Amino acid sequence: MDDFFFSLLLAGISVGAVYALIALGLNLTFWTTKTLNFGQGSLMMLCAMLTVFISSQGVAITLAVVGSLAVVAALGMFIERWTVRPSLQSSGGSMGWVVSTLGFGIFLQGMAAKCFGSQAVAFPDVVFNAQDFVTLFGQYISLQYLVVLAVAVALILAFELFIRRTVWGQAVHAVSLDPELALVQGIPVRRLILGSFMLSSILAGVAGVLIAQIGGTVDPAFGFDLVLLGFVAAVLGGMGSSLGALAGGLLVGVISKLVGGYVSTAAEHGIAFALLMLALAVRPQGLFGRPEVSKA
Amino acid sequence: MNALRSRLSAVVADWRVQVALVLALLLAAPLLSPGTLQIASFVLVAAIFAQSINLLTGLAGQISLGHAGFFGIGAYCTGILVKTHELDVTLGVPAAVLLAGLTGWLLSFPANRVRDVYLAMMTLGFGMVFFEVVREWNELTGGTMGLPGVPSAALRTLTILGVKVDGLRYFQLVLLVTAGVILLVRNLTQSRIGRAFYAIQVSEVAAGSIGIPAGRTKQLAYALSGALAGLAGALYAHLVGYLGPESFALPRSIEVLVIAIVGGLGSIAGQVLSAVLFTFLPERLQVFAEWQFIAYGLILTFSLLVLPRGIGGLLFDAPRFIKARALTRAARLRADATALRPDVGGTALEAKGITMRFGGLVAVDDVSLRLEPGRITALIGPNGSGKSTFVNVVTGIYRPAAGQVSFGGRDITGLPDHQVATAGVVRTFQDPRLVPHFTVRENLLLGAHRQLRHSGLAATLALPGAIAEEAAQLALVEAVLALSDLTEVADRPIDTLPYGTRRMAEVGRALLARPRVILLDEPAAGLSETEMDRLAQLIRDMRAMGIAILLIDHHMDFLAELVDEVVVLDSGRMIYHGDIVGMRSDAQVIAAYLGDEAAHA
Repeated sequence: MDDFFFSLLLAGISVGAVYALIALGLNLTFWTTKTLNFGQGSLMMLCAMLTVFISSQGVAITLAVVGSLAVVAALGMFIERWTVRPSLQSSGGSMGWVVSTLGFGIFLQGMAAKCFGSQAVAFPDVVFNAQDFVTLFGQYISLQYLVVLAVAVALILAFELFIRRTVWGQAVHAVSLDPELALVQGIPVRRLILGSFMLSSILAGVAGVLIAQIGGTVDPAFGFDLVLLGFVAAVLGGMGSSLGALAGGLLVGVISKLVGGYVSTAAEHGIAFALLMLALAVRPQGLFGRPEVSKA
Repeated sequence: MNALRSRLSAVVADWRVQVALVLALLLAAPLLSPGTLQIASFVLVAAIFAQSINLLTGLAGQISLGHAGFFGIGAYCTGILVKTHELDVTLGVPAAVLLAGLTGWLLSFPANRVRDVYLAMMTLGFGMVFFEVVREWNELTGGTMGLPGVPSAALRTLTILGVKVDGLRYFQLVLLVTAGVILLVRNLTQSRIGRAFYAIQVSEVAAGSIGIPAGRTKQLAYALSGALAGLAGALYAHLVGYLGPESFALPRSIEVLVIAIVGGLGSIAGQVLSAVLFTFLPERLQVFAEWQFIAYGLILTFSLLVLPRGIGGLLFDAPRFIKARALTRAARLRADATALRPDVGGTALEAKGITMRFGGLVAVDDVSLRLEPGRITALIGPNGSGKSTFVNVVTGIYRPAAGQVSFGGRDITGLPDHQVATAGVVRTFQDPRLVPHFTVRENLLLGAHRQLRHSGLAATLALPGAIAEEAAQLALVEAVLALSDLTEVADRPIDTLPYGTRRMAEVGRALLARPRVILLDEPAAGLSETEMDRLAQLIRDMRAMGIAILLIDHHMDFLAELVDEVVVLDSGRMIYHGDIVGMRSDAQVIAAYLGDEAAHA
């Protein structure tokens, strides 16, 4: 196999797994509230930026990551409490929360630019550096890509186990089917929704750190395209399906890297967005989703 | 506060004030510095751009997070035509408007397949795709280097039809264009098109039930909104003279959204004020410019909660959807409700063997019935027996698993709901589905939507023919208002009125849609005795007009005085068909309502 193709494929699979992670985060809040955070990208950016900042203060990198994740998790809860919940209660349709979560994301982005400057900053190497590689079947494989892939896949599996095997995971399912019935059954729906936004934000934060690790730099505008790519993954796979998120993520990752490699690097994201519009137009329910049945 | 608001609205709506304002600005312009003139021109561009969001989101209810795309298409189109191909501005700008409108129309096809979150993401994606294309298409757009030297007022290189245009002339020109746009948008809002936009925002199903096609209406909204954004972009191009991809990225989409939302979606004057505010603030206040992005973020986060109707809602009365001119003209006309009599007599609706399944559940099982002109058929049965589902099948909301609905010999099975309504089969809903912010009169006029046959252009220009047609329908509305005893509350918004009044208004609206068959889904539910008498009289009037009527209700005394025949459903099957006296002693009916023992007792 051609080296170039292989390296693109690996890069695609690796970033694709991260897109899947973002998609899972979006799915999670979609299950509990039928909403998602349009400012999710800012959380990804903020987590990576904070990690850079904290570690530059002499704190160990792993601690910096954990600290940043904690901040992002808290922000996730704030977003649920102060942007999503009030909009849902005032019942102006989807308009309200789309605009308010997007607004909060823009606010965070603006704050990050104000505090850390709008220039891209180098992201420190967490485990390996960009030059580390192993040889497999005669191919050079970047260790960073492998680590990112391993972390993303491990998290996806852990997430699936959590959703399928634990009481909380079952509760999430119950709420997604019928929040009112779940409430009557004694499931603490409010806390569950709050938790879903927290967990979703943590997933976004991890994804942000992983992408920053691969890319090497991070800047305040960094997350916006990414969350859209995560959404492309979620839609391609079928909104709400975990398996779909993984398949969609890999598909988006591989296609965009191949286009980037063979056509133009700049077309990488453009093609993914075009894919999104196409997917929504042709098969809105995605590869693994079922069409929504609604009663008039 | 309310009185003040009404005074202010009256002042703003007065055409003399409007003309005076435009004249004052035209005459005062030479006194302003070139810098101020340029900012003022930016205000006007922003005002037009905000109107495009107002049209799409405020009226038609479709969110867009990628409007900078249309703005950019307009800017680049005229920029390239005028600079590279040396066309005149008078050709470049209209071409830009057309191209952006066409793009909007094309985008409406994928956009019509999705809603809510998906629509927001799709429009966000559209903006991003546009940005990437502009950045990469070096030969055409200059890529990241941008397109410098577009003939413009700022560069003093702009000539229109051979005449040199400086900053002052350009401002005056853009002012006239803006005034024109605002006038046209207002006309459009107060026409059948504006009402249809608003109706599909509130409920596509309800709009379909009176013959308003949701799909085509949204296509029009996208095309018009795209064209307006394209116009704003084109004017912007000849204002600044340099086009770079960064000017058409996400922040521009966000900015116009902020302007439109703070201005108050639906309020035209609010948008203009908001455009003034958000263009002058960053220019005049250094602090604001520095914190602009953060401020926009906070405003978007909280404005819909703090000030849901924006500046417009704060300062002015809610917008109205009928032209004052049409109302004055209608007041001089007199119409008789008998004019609503169906013009083609003798057509019956026939449903044969209708079966409807939801998964494993058979909601309607092999039901056949015939609705004759001038006859009232009651459809009754316990809750969940399939009555509403049957109505949904007949009116095209569901496609039946088996069976056929024909009307006047024509097969209408599986036609989309608005076509069924256009054929003359109109229904009301179990829960009244009116447009809450519309007045009673506006709601009723909405029913006459498909009787208004003048073109969109005529409506937008408020041509005499369009006004005359609208006035004629308004006279009929007046007659129906009298018939349903709603004249007193005609100008009150429907959401301020009691439930019974809303029910009557919904029946009235259905009547104005010129039904040949009307299907009333529990119209008497929740009505008081007097309201019920009034409704019964209205239904008798409709029968006298020769309309075929299907009446779903549980109230037996109400039905007994009215109906000609009764059909009883139980678990989706038809268990009785005959007169109401026979039904009372029918064993199966008694069993369905009271249980088996009662039937054997």
